[in-house]
Amino acid sequence: MEGIKQNPIVKKLGFNRIILFCILVLLYVAFSIAIPGFAGMARIMSILNYVYFLGFLALGVTFVIATGGIDFSIGPVMFCCALMAGYSLNTFNVPVAAALLLSIVIGFCFGVFNGWLVSFVGVPPFIVSMASMNIAKGLGSVFTKTQSVSWPQANDPDGRGWFRNLVKVGNIPTGLIIFAIFVIVLYILMNNTKPGRYILCLGSNKEAVRLSGVNVRKWQMLAYVICGTLVGIAAIFFVGAYTTVQPGLGDTYNNEAIASCVMGGTSMAGGLASIGGTVIGVFVISLLQEGIMALRMTKEVQMIITGLIVIVFVYADVSARRRKN
Amino acid sequence: MAKKKSIFTQEVIVGIVLIALYFLFRTISSDFGKYTTFLSMMDISYYYAFMAIGVAFPLITGGVDLSIGTGMICYALAGGFMIRQYGWPTGLAMLLSILFGVVIGLVNGILISVMGLPPFLATLCTCMITRGLGSVVTGSFAVPWPTAKQPNGWFHSIFKITLENKTKLPLGLLWVILLMLIMQFVLAHTKFGRYTIAIGSNKEAASLSGINVKFYHVMVYVVSGLFAGLASIAYGAVIKTVQPGTGAGMELDAIGGAIVGGVSASGGYGTIYGTVIGAYVIIFLKQGLPYIGFNANMQQIITGLVLIGAVAIDIVKRKVVK
Amino acid sequence: MGEVILTMKGIDKSFPGVHALDHVDLELRRGEVLALMGENGAGKSTLMKVLTGIYTKDSGTITFEGKDVEFHNTHEAQEAGIVIVHQELNMVGDLTVAQNIFIGREFKKGIMIDDKKMIAESRKLFDELHIDIDPKAKMSDLTVGKQQMCEIAKAISHKAKVIIFDEPSAALTEKEIEDLFVIIRDLRAQNLGIIYISHRMDEIKVITDRVTVMRDGTYVGTLVTNECTKEDIINMMVGRVIYEDPKTHSAVPDDAPVVLKVEHLNAGKMVQDVSFELRKGEILGFSGLMGAGRTETARALFGADPKTGGDIYINGQKVTINSPEDAVKHGIGYLSEDRKRYGIVVQKTITENSTMATLEKYTRGLFINKAEEKKVAEQYIKELATKTPSADELVVNLSGGNQQKVVIAKWLVRNCDILIFDEPTRGIDVGAKNEIYKLMNRLAAEGKSIIMISSEMTEILRMSDRIVVMCEGKKTGEIRIEEATQEAIMDKATRDIN
Repeated sequence: MEGIKQNPIVKKLGFNRIILFCILVLLYVAFSIAIPGFAGMARIMSILNYVYFLGFLALGVTFVIATGGIDFSIGPVMFCCALMAGYSLNTFNVPVAAALLLSIVIGFCFGVFNGWLVSFVGVPPFIVSMASMNIAKGLGSVFTKTQSVSWPQANDPDGRGWFRNLVKVGNIPTGLIIFAIFVIVLYILMNNTKPGRYILCLGSNKEAVRLSGVNVRKWQMLAYVICGTLVGIAAIFFVGAYTTVQPGLGDTYNNEAIASCVMGGTSMAGGLASIGGTVIGVFVISLLQEGIMALRMTKEVQMIITGLIVIVFVYADVSARRRKN
Repeated sequence: MAKKKSIFTQEVIVGIVLIALYFLFRTISSDFGKYTTFLSMMDISYYYAFMAIGVAFPLITGGVDLSIGTGMICYALAGGFMIRQYGWPTGLAMLLSILFGVVIGLVNGILISVMGLPPFLATLCTCMITRGLGSVVTGSFAVPWPTAKQPNGWFHSIFKITLENKTKLPLGLLWVILLMLIMQFVLAHTKFGRYTIAIGSNKEAASLSGINVKFYHVMVYVVSGLFAGLASIAYGAVIKTVQPGTGAGMELDAIGGAIVGGVSASGGYGTIYGTVIGAYVIIFLKQGLPYIGFNANMQQIITGLVLIGAVAIDIVKRKVVK
Repeated sequence: MGEVILTMKGIDKSFPGVHALDHVDLELRRGEVLALMGENGAGKSTLMKVLTGIYTKDSGTITFEGKDVEFHNTHEAQEAGIVIVHQELNMVGDLTVAQNIFIGREFKKGIMIDDKKMIAESRKLFDELHIDIDPKAKMSDLTVGKQQMCEIAKAISHKAKVIIFDEPSAALTEKEIEDLFVIIRDLRAQNLGIIYISHRMDEIKVITDRVTVMRDGTYVGTLVTNECTKEDIINMMVGRVIYEDPKTHSAVPDDAPVVLKVEHLNAGKMVQDVSFELRKGEILGFSGLMGAGRTETARALFGADPKTGGDIYINGQKVTINSPEDAVKHGIGYLSEDRKRYGIVVQKTITENSTMATLEKYTRGLFINKAEEKKVAEQYIKELATKTPSADELVVNLSGGNQQKVVIAKWLVRNCDILIFDEPTRGIDVGAKNEIYKLMNRLAAEGKSIIMISSEMTEILRMSDRIVVMCEGKKTGEIRIEEATQEAIMDKATRDIN
């Protein structure tokens, strides 16, 4: 066992991530055997729809968790973006491109708001999350007058459905390509750039980084801004796949995004984050979601499972750290 | 030497705000001043007030309990389900609801105090789990508690009684006040209360003084769970039909109430009467805004901003004192 | 003075790599105040921790009231009647004075805590001690001095027979110290045994009956306070052979340019009106006892803590330093005394730590040039002879000395002209120590200027060209290496106040 762990290729990829990947494969096989007709392109496309938006959420929150913070307003904020942009699209007839941009801008603004409060004012991240969650739900409801919002269909007579090509064209999963590009960009951002380096280091020991002459507040805030922006993008993929958004919802996705991160090896204590691990985690959660639906169980079962996953993985991380000290 | 204490504590100021808010809404909207409006507002307030009283304890230790909202719904579903499905007497079902709350509180406490998970994360998970459990138990169907006229409906009179001249009295308010007084007493005059403050103020020192910090830290979450259980009964009595999958976000109003009422988000300080006053400010906003022509959901935004504002003021105050 | 109440005999205690206590003896009688003195690291605190059960001794015996005892925690020691009043206070700020005094053993009336009785009891305690504190006041509203009084009251309420004061006066004002002495005399009159740890010579003379001196983890001797002079005590504290050859004269020319000038630096109680100059190629030693304010001075200078006043000139130019960011921009590097907390990010690699302060030099646009970064890290691994399998090793896996080299590398990569070494060899073994000394000398020879804060007298005398001595937040002297002796430094470091 130790020998395998020391293998350079295994080390590079991460032992835990390889295990998680194996679990993903096994899970897929298990579902395919247990459920007739589970294997097949239709299911995969359906899983991918879930992967896209959850993936952007999880990648975003990975950056925040890397700083040792948390953001569980991401689900409602995503809905807020989708609602406000969609409402503008339907009611004020803004061009689709502008609506998409608006969604990203709203996410960005939430990121700035959260990040500023956490790093410059010093409000604990969980309080900021609670407040943002409330504000996002409220804004979405007030703006849309508590009506659900439907984005244009692919066959929209005015040709406004083109944004769905971002998700898929015919049977080609274009979303996967976009998602893959983002994963690569974010991987590089996290591991090969100055912002990523500072985010990871300050998550591990903020004071030491500050005493190296680094403006830690700025970089800490940036993590929240990255997160917010990605949440805005997640909203686009959500409506691209599911069309309709209802105000007042979205919080179930918080836990799924956080679960994806902690499964992939990102530590809640900060300083340790794996983009690749998060991606595998997202696939596992999306597969679970699809499998549970196929087994005719409800979304609620998934919530319980996700909750348990987070508890188990965070406890494993906490106790591993305790043993080290 | 000792600083002269201003009588304008946060509790007093929030109390004045509460009264001002009530009269402001009354002057703008004549409907708001009606007795029936007052009654329905009180109906809604009980379960929020109960949750707020309970969650004040984790907040004072510097933690938080996010599971109370969905938890409350879950316990209400479980109790109501037992009455509907298995014909349990109401009293027994109520006991089950409360016990369910205590058990989830215990789970939270163990996750946080013994296993060392961050409070917001542990309770975020139990929030999701209780939300799921409620639906699983009832098969995702809404569960109506017995109405007042049905044989098992006596429990409605716990919260509202109708006099002979058909006047209805918000009896629940009495319970809120009673529980507020009891828990204020517990916080101020019992070991449990004292150690709750000590854990929030300086856990290390408390532990060095020979206090069983782990035990009391667990109990804090048990109390929070217990009050979520009590809230579930008020919810069953007032809302009548409990929908699975709801409840998310209600914890924020309760927590927001406690913090507005002067409980320090960094722990170590808080009062129960302040908590209840704060909770009523939130409820007034929630119920009153539509009467003065605002969208009811404005309240969510305002609560969010007020929450941030209250915490930011607390942070700045502590910095200045230093 | 009465009979012997407490005897510690042949106490031995080792930590990995350090022989902290080497067969130490101590004897305390009823109705006396015994001073326990010694330089930093002489083993006073360790001895007291062994006594109160925080550490277990390796060998030796403790006899208390005629019986051999061994405590396993402070609680047991308290039960027996030995109480320590800590330097850092263990108070719950949000509770009241009375609530703090009786925390963990509240009086009860039914399920209710009997606050009235606790307040009455506290008041009685305070009356006995002639202290004027309101038992109902919130602890965090009191001054540090008053909080200390509460600690003492708490100790006495445990029916203590032996009370240990660990540098009680460090945070007190003159008036508060006087009050404290009144209390201590009272306690002595009640036949309690008191151990008083302090660096203040004047206090020792005023309040104590006998002085026990320790040095390098050994027992040196015990004197009767009235019969000895300050010089006697200092000689016992420092009377060690300096085997590592001290510097005899400074190589820095008198007309070397001043690179850093600090004028009237103020930052709270620990930095009061500190002024000094640092020349090119000079190693300026900062000496003083624990709590003299040396680290605080360095942190204020570096912008790590806010300062309340003072001017800083670099190469004759007045500069503003409000954050470490500013300091680093002006070419100052700071090696903290607490490496793990402030120096390095232990969960990251040597490479990542080495370029932490200079990352912009190794980035093109946004991207980090990892090859170049690794090259420079490897260069400094070689230059500083850091022992590690590779530059990709996590810093947590290195020894203390090698971790220190990584911190030094961080500032060398930055090419800082002014380096502040705060306790550069703390927790480092002898071999690595010598390497770090050599390195500092080489850096000075290359024209870098170094401020070295050290609590080790030998280190100060071996490395410094000039020595600034601090005491209680004030600069109390400046000595050229040619005139420096241990006695001269210790005299200034323990200078009588007023």
